[in-house]
Amino acid sequence: MNRRNKNQLQSHSKQSGIQPPRWAEQLLIRITAPYIRDEILGDLHELFQKRVHRYGVTKAQLLYMLEMLLLLHPRLWRKPGQSIHIDTKQTDYSDPNPMTMVSNYAKIAFRKLNRHKSYTLINVLSLSLGIAGAILTFTLVKYHLSFDTFHADYNRIYRITTELRTEKVTYSTGVPNPMGEAFKSDYDVAEKVGRIGFLKERVVSVSPQKKFKEDVAFADADLLHIFNFPLLEGDPQTALQERNTALITERIAKKYFGDIDPIGQLLRIDSSLVVTITGVLENLPATTDFHTEIYLPYSNLQDHSPWLVEKDWWVGFNKEMQCFIKLKSGVSAAMVDSNILPAISAKYYDKENARIFQFKLQPLSGVHFNPKLRGYMEKKNLWTFALIGFFLVVTACVNFINLATAQALDRSREIGVRKALGSQRGALFWQFITETALIAGVALIIALGLAYLVVPTVNQWFDIELVINPLTDTYLFTFLVGLLLIVTFCSGAYPGLILARFQPVLALKGKLSQQSAGGFSLRRGLVVTQFAISQLLIIGTLIITNQVRYSEQANMGFQKDAIVILPIPDHQKSKITTLGTQLSAMAGVQNVTFFDSPPATEFLASTGIRYASRLKAESFNIAYKTGDDQFVPTFKIPILAGRNLASSDTVREYLLNEAAVKALGLAFIQDVIGKTATINGQSGTIVGVMKNFHFKSFRTAIEPLCLTTRREMYTSCGIKVNPTNLKATLAGFEKVWTALYPSSVYMYRFLDEDIDRLYKLDRMLLRLIEGFAGIAIFVGCLGLYGLVSFMADQKKKEIGVRKVLGASTSGILWLFGKEFSRLLLLSFVLAAPLGWWSMNKWLASFVYRIEIGPGIFMLAILITFLVALLSVSLRSVKAALVNPIKTLRAE
Amino acid sequence: MKGTQLGEFEEIVLLTVALLYDDAYGVAVLEELSSRLERPMSLGVVHRTLQRLEEKGLVHSRFSEPMAERGGRSKRLFTITLAGEKALQEARRIRNELWNGIPKTAFDHLT
Repeated sequence: MNRRNKNQLQSHSKQSGIQPPRWAEQLLIRITAPYIRDEILGDLHELFQKRVHRYGVTKAQLLYMLEMLLLLHPRLWRKPGQSIHIDTKQTDYSDPNPMTMVSNYAKIAFRKLNRHKSYTLINVLSLSLGIAGAILTFTLVKYHLSFDTFHADYNRIYRITTELRTEKVTYSTGVPNPMGEAFKSDYDVAEKVGRIGFLKERVVSVSPQKKFKEDVAFADADLLHIFNFPLLEGDPQTALQERNTALITERIAKKYFGDIDPIGQLLRIDSSLVVTITGVLENLPATTDFHTEIYLPYSNLQDHSPWLVEKDWWVGFNKEMQCFIKLKSGVSAAMVDSNILPAISAKYYDKENARIFQFKLQPLSGVHFNPKLRGYMEKKNLWTFALIGFFLVVTACVNFINLATAQALDRSREIGVRKALGSQRGALFWQFITETALIAGVALIIALGLAYLVVPTVNQWFDIELVINPLTDTYLFTFLVGLLLIVTFCSGAYPGLILARFQPVLALKGKLSQQSAGGFSLRRGLVVTQFAISQLLIIGTLIITNQVRYSEQANMGFQKDAIVILPIPDHQKSKITTLGTQLSAMAGVQNVTFFDSPPATEFLASTGIRYASRLKAESFNIAYKTGDDQFVPTFKIPILAGRNLASSDTVREYLLNEAAVKALGLAFIQDVIGKTATINGQSGTIVGVMKNFHFKSFRTAIEPLCLTTRREMYTSCGIKVNPTNLKATLAGFEKVWTALYPSSVYMYRFLDEDIDRLYKLDRMLLRLIEGFAGIAIFVGCLGLYGLVSFMADQKKKEIGVRKVLGASTSGILWLFGKEFSRLLLLSFVLAAPLGWWSMNKWLASFVYRIEIGPGIFMLAILITFLVALLSVSLRSVKAALVNPIKTLRAE
Repeated sequence: MKGTQLGEFEEIVLLTVALLYDDAYGVAVLEELSSRLERPMSLGVVHRTLQRLEEKGLVHSRFSEPMAERGGRSKRLFTITLAGEKALQEARRIRNELWNGIPKTAFDHLT
């Protein structure tokens, strides 16, 4: 149809008012073959108008789209069959058919990739490794970010936490017991308030023979309405209301009762409490920090551990006695923080304590991320992971760009011909993008497969439960699509532009040089980036390895090898004494000691101290450890002055460490000997000073510490054993122990494993960086290899001429080597300061740390250099050894 | 030539084109067919069949003047060609012969 008619009639259609969806028409115009376009659009339009009259606009529009879908058929865009006779004047053939064009692009891309197999292989391999890394980091980051976000209205749920503002601020996840009640009754801002007490490793018995060690929690009924832990069986309205009832998860029910219905079954918790199961909870999701699977009513805590729930006891708190609230919608946490919680402090404490006891809200989604409040990790670790994942993708893209621009020269003839035949820049560009998309798509699929295979291992390393399934996980799916687009455009755009820009005459004559084929300097820049990333990761790996090794192997100030720790379920004197004598009598046992916590732990309670005749309590808090007279000899802690504690069941004497003496402001350690000290409200004589030892991880400085005897606190028994014939010794322990504590579950652990656990997170970080550094280097090498191959191809003739004129093999190797050595050094100049800076920031979280010496940097550059040398020489040696006659004969 | 063989739907469409005589185009054929067959059908099917018929040379098409109710587009009007008429006759003949050949007793079992 000619233009005049079109215009005239378009004005007609405007008058008729309702129009079919414009986008749909546009789409049809694009894909329909020109000779039937008018007919189809006209028919659809006519039908549409009729249907608007008959059914109304919406239905007509829906039907329009339906008709459009049903029209999709090759006949819609195919050229007319042979026997058709139409008036060509009325048709318009000038628009290219996009379908055929895309299929042509794809065909050319396939041929191209098929012809250059090694090029394709390198690209696909490096991209899939990079993308696999990115997928893993994405899933990992998403996994951690999703912690406890499945609760309904999770952004209104908060935990009340305690800040103890003495000389330095200490944080606790626990609050004083009356806090929950006070918050609920005094202020009307919370929808629900739920107190919960977590008790670790209780003995839960189904029958005298069937005992388990399990974490239990005593919780208010309201807690079930705050948290989204759905009940599979039982009534959510009455659950946890009645005393002596319990909720267990499905997993526990299976474990305890198998296929028997758990409802109505009895459980004994420790020795004091017997409860009936009234409900079964759905299994807890992996992404929660609440791992307790047995819930008991809060009111039962009174029977089990009355000292935890003393009424009106505002000055004590325990990190496991927590309080969660769900604010009413519209109430801001900042307001509660700034008005209500200080008011509570002011109301229930005297003036001085009100200043010390401060409470703050912690959002539920932050519980996972605040190590100060026993969170799993800091959020910034996640960003580090994400950054490393990003680096991997960048390295892979760099490879692609490098190889593609290097290869561009090869394609100059093709481009020349295409241009001479009338290809436009845009078309050439898109053709190249199609090729890239093809490679990236294949790489993505391989990467998914790789990630899928690797996930079980990663889960094991990190002790988590990642799942990779883009079909059900919309976030992952979106991420993958986005990644595909970004990778395609980032790596395809530049080479595409270069290719499209070729001058057809020059290209056909084959006169394009390396220089004009897309800035050699850009490629250099990219190689430098790649090397810099690899070196950065290597430096990181080396430094973290060194620090972790240092933390694990450095002298903690006490003996940690060959010490077995057994739990003590109760601290009756007779039993402890019996266990002590029986164990020490055994062969292979050197020392036995009883204590509340091993020499090094992640957390340690601290308390106030008043020294000698000073009137006021000291302004610092002192860490409080209890252990019997064998503690010091067993762990070989040096006593610098005075003597060891004498044997006793109650607090009589104290040992201080050097840091405590210093904090007391005394110049000589001898000064404290014989003085009295009141610690935790109990006074005793200071009999000696211990040499400083690391009673926490290397992240914290050694703080003031005291050690005293106090039998009622002992929870564990430490045994120094002779490592030979360990198996028999351990078996002996079990026999003695179970005879004494028949109703408990026997478990043992080694002290050095305990200490290693302090650095669990660091080791995880290390593994991740190690793995990713490996990938980055490998990908970099692949790229390097590809690049050298193309260089060797390009310089075939040059090498031939040089050899004929008498160049030696090593001279020719140097031709390749010098270029890459220069780039490597340049990247080192970039990576070294960056690595130094970032790793210094990481090390800053350790008080006791290694120094970053030049050795690490030397090692980093050496490793990269060797690896680079290997990949460069693989190809360049071959090029240098070729008989010149082969390369020169061609002309 | 295999192409001249008429499919059942093709036959119906071709008959409709003949029936509508000078006003046979996509929508008209579609409406006629759906009212007679009493089932909805899509424009796509009709179009493709008409295209096929044209390729087989059984119908001939021309464009009408552009019309406002079609958003300013013209109709493609189909008329049956001689070959089309012959194909219809042929189909009818075969059917008639088949009908005539059916023995009376063949339908007896229905009673």
